[in-house]
Amino acid sequence: MSHHLFLLSPSDTPLYSLTHYSTKPAPSVTSPLASNLPTWSTSAFAGTLTALSGASSATQHTTGGAVRMGGGQDRHVIQMIANASLDVIEDIMRKENTMYLKSVDKFNEWTVSAFITAGNMKFILLHEGKNDDGIRAFFVDVWELYVKTMLNPFHTAHTPIRSAVFDGRVRASAKKYL
Amino acid sequence: MATTSKQYKAIGEDLWKGRSEKINAELFALTYGALVVQLIQDYEDYAEVNKHLEKMGYNIGTRLIEDFLAKSGLGRCADFREVGEVVSKVGFKSFLNITPTVTHGAPPPPPSPNRPSSINTLSQTSAGSSFTLTLDENPLAEFVELPDEALEGGLWFSNVLCGVLRGALEMVQMQVQAEFISDVLRGDESTEIRVKLVKYLEEEVPVGDD
Repeated sequence: MSHHLFLLSPSDTPLYSLTHYSTKPAPSVTSPLASNLPTWSTSAFAGTLTALSGASSATQHTTGGAVRMGGGQDRHVIQMIANASLDVIEDIMRKENTMYLKSVDKFNEWTVSAFITAGNMKFILLHEGKNDDGIRAFFVDVWELYVKTMLNPFHTAHTPIRSAVFDGRVRASAKKYL
Repeated sequence: MATTSKQYKAIGEDLWKGRSEKINAELFALTYGALVVQLIQDYEDYAEVNKHLEKMGYNIGTRLIEDFLAKSGLGRCADFREVGEVVSKVGFKSFLNITPTVTHGAPPPPPSPNRPSSINTLSQTSAGSSFTLTLDENPLAEFVELPDEALEGGLWFSNVLCGVLRGALEMVQMQVQAEFISDVLRGDESTEIRVKLVKYLEEEVPVGDD
């Protein structure tokens, strides 16, 4: 089960992104489209379909050309899903006051959860399945790490976060909660 | 009258507690960080920045020593070893609320017979003695992560402390050289400052006094 985290500034500039493959067992969610795939699944069309159905973790384990095609297109799809959810997030942002917005959007089997900080930073997490408590804890952890990074005098606000320390700690936190 | 290290610790504690004006540690660290970053932008050369931080510290130190002596009421130190103890247990404690560990340097070679012994009590320790302060925590450098250019350029982030030590000790007739040996911000294991005594300064009669 994989998770994709994006940190966006208030002006929607991506500051940090992370892909995390969880070792925890994924809840069994069958994609409705995958079962309709014809047997000649190495074709480009079917590859796109596989990618759109979000079955990225499954394709990782198979061998052959289909994997690379699926993996590459997956990345674009993930970005597309994340970007599409921004509108929804902004809508909710204006209405609600809470920081943790549970799942704001759903696309096939990908759910988008968001977390808005006091400075209007958006943390977006794409994941499969439901894991509200873990995700909330993870967001709070990332928030703390983000605040510590902002306090570094050498870091300019709203620029991409390149610190290796931050990266390492976010990964450790992801491993712990997701 | 030899004051034991425990007594120094107690004096340091009292001074820290007795201070009525304390500043928020985060504000202090952020202000210092902003200062260093601005200096880097202005001078663009890390050696220059180090030098200026030290100069700023020197100016701070020359004034700080008055406050310190007034509040602590400590007398003259018998030797350089005691200077190290007082600096770490009373000085650092009362201003920054940290107590760095002191390691005294190896005793210098015996003085040559030609050395003038005009300074009576202090001539026991000849120039060349040193002590090293090991700081386990550095309030100036909370949250700081040095970028790669600063690491390569050789920036000593807390160099102002070296200046403070030099300035303060110069006002009590000791010319010292204080420098950083290692810094956790640079990836070393610990943060250490070595203070080396260059010479004792003679009391100079002000010009025009007769």
